[in-house]
Amino acid sequence: MVRRRVSEEMDMVKGLIVGTLTAAVSFGAFAGASNVSSSKLIKEATAAYKQVAKDTSYQWTTTVKSIKAAQAAFDKGKFTEAEALAREALELVDATRTQAKIEAETWQMRVPK
Amino acid sequence: MKTITRATLAATVGLGFAISVSAGPVEDQAAFQKYFENKFPNTPVMDFQNGVYSILPEAREQWVQIEEFPPYELAIENGEKLYHSKFANGKSLADCFGPEGAVRGQYPFWDKDRGMVITMERAVNECREANGEKGYGWKKGKIADVTAYMSFNSRGQKVDVKIPSDDPRALAAYEEGKEHFYTKRGQLNFACADCHLLTAGNLYRADTTSPAFGHATSWPVFRSKWQSMGTLHRRFAGCHENIRAASYKAQGPEYSNLEYFVTYMSNGLDFNGPAARK
Repeated sequence: MVRRRVSEEMDMVKGLIVGTLTAAVSFGAFAGASNVSSSKLIKEATAAYKQVAKDTSYQWTTTVKSIKAAQAAFDKGKFTEAEALAREALELVDATRTQAKIEAETWQMRVPK
Repeated sequence: MKTITRATLAATVGLGFAISVSAGPVEDQAAFQKYFENKFPNTPVMDFQNGVYSILPEAREQWVQIEEFPPYELAIENGEKLYHSKFANGKSLADCFGPEGAVRGQYPFWDKDRGMVITMERAVNECREANGEKGYGWKKGKIADVTAYMSFNSRGQKVDVKIPSDDPRALAAYEEGKEHFYTKRGQLNFACADCHLLTAGNLYRADTTSPAFGHATSWPVFRSKWQSMGTLHRRFAGCHENIRAASYKAQGPEYSNLEYFVTYMSNGLDFNGPAARK
């Protein structure tokens, strides 16, 4: 009984993953990723990465990896992939900024008293 | 990914710890050292200078054997040669630091004239540059060899970092180092303090994290992972890369101030570098 429920849940998770991936790919296709739009997004991500470092002194290595991967995909003409990676980089920049904001307010709670 | 990261960050805040007013360096140091003494009651205080081996008896045995034929011996020999090598102007590092370079206990210090923290590595390169030579790279190679020789000759000197009360910039540098130590960064959302204070002694994958008390005493080190010598700033940078944070420049203000703070926290221990570490 329990095994069956676990199996059903696993199927559901698999379904969700497949569905999300399909939606992401479709979105990229329907969004009409192009030379111009992906190039613009990569530039935007690069600028955001530099700006967050200026504003907060925080930088994540993963953001650089995403930007480089986006550029590599762009160079190969894979514009949909390039846009997805550039968006990922922008999200990472966003998370970096959130981290910096939270830490500025909370780091002292770790100091032994 | 963003959701997970945000959820983690929000949870951190949601813990609801009260944020209290910052204490001064003396109170910080007392609380810091007491924290480790309470966390590791079986470790004699002076033994914290031996890093993770002060809290891991089983690894210590192996480390003691390694120290019998230490992997940093060649670095000391090479460092000695470099130390006494004549510059083009006929002088050498010995003209700056004395015949044996036994000055480890003087670093890091606050330079009031320049308003910055001076580390021993910086002092070595500034001596070279003042004599018309190029500075060494900051993280490994010759800088590590020379400082290995100088540290070896300085063994037993007390860690006694001072924060001059007549220069508020020194306190500011200390506070910057302190904030750096306790602040989470990188995609993995770790602070130095997370691994080396709050969960010091815990396993991260196959490695036990070392206590931060004593962290700054044994540099440079020969690290098995590197298979070479490295400076403290090399290690700082490596730690940051591990947590997916971009590292800062070696000997830049971020790491120099961090060294200032971390070394001050170990005041009272002995400098015992160079050392072998995993």
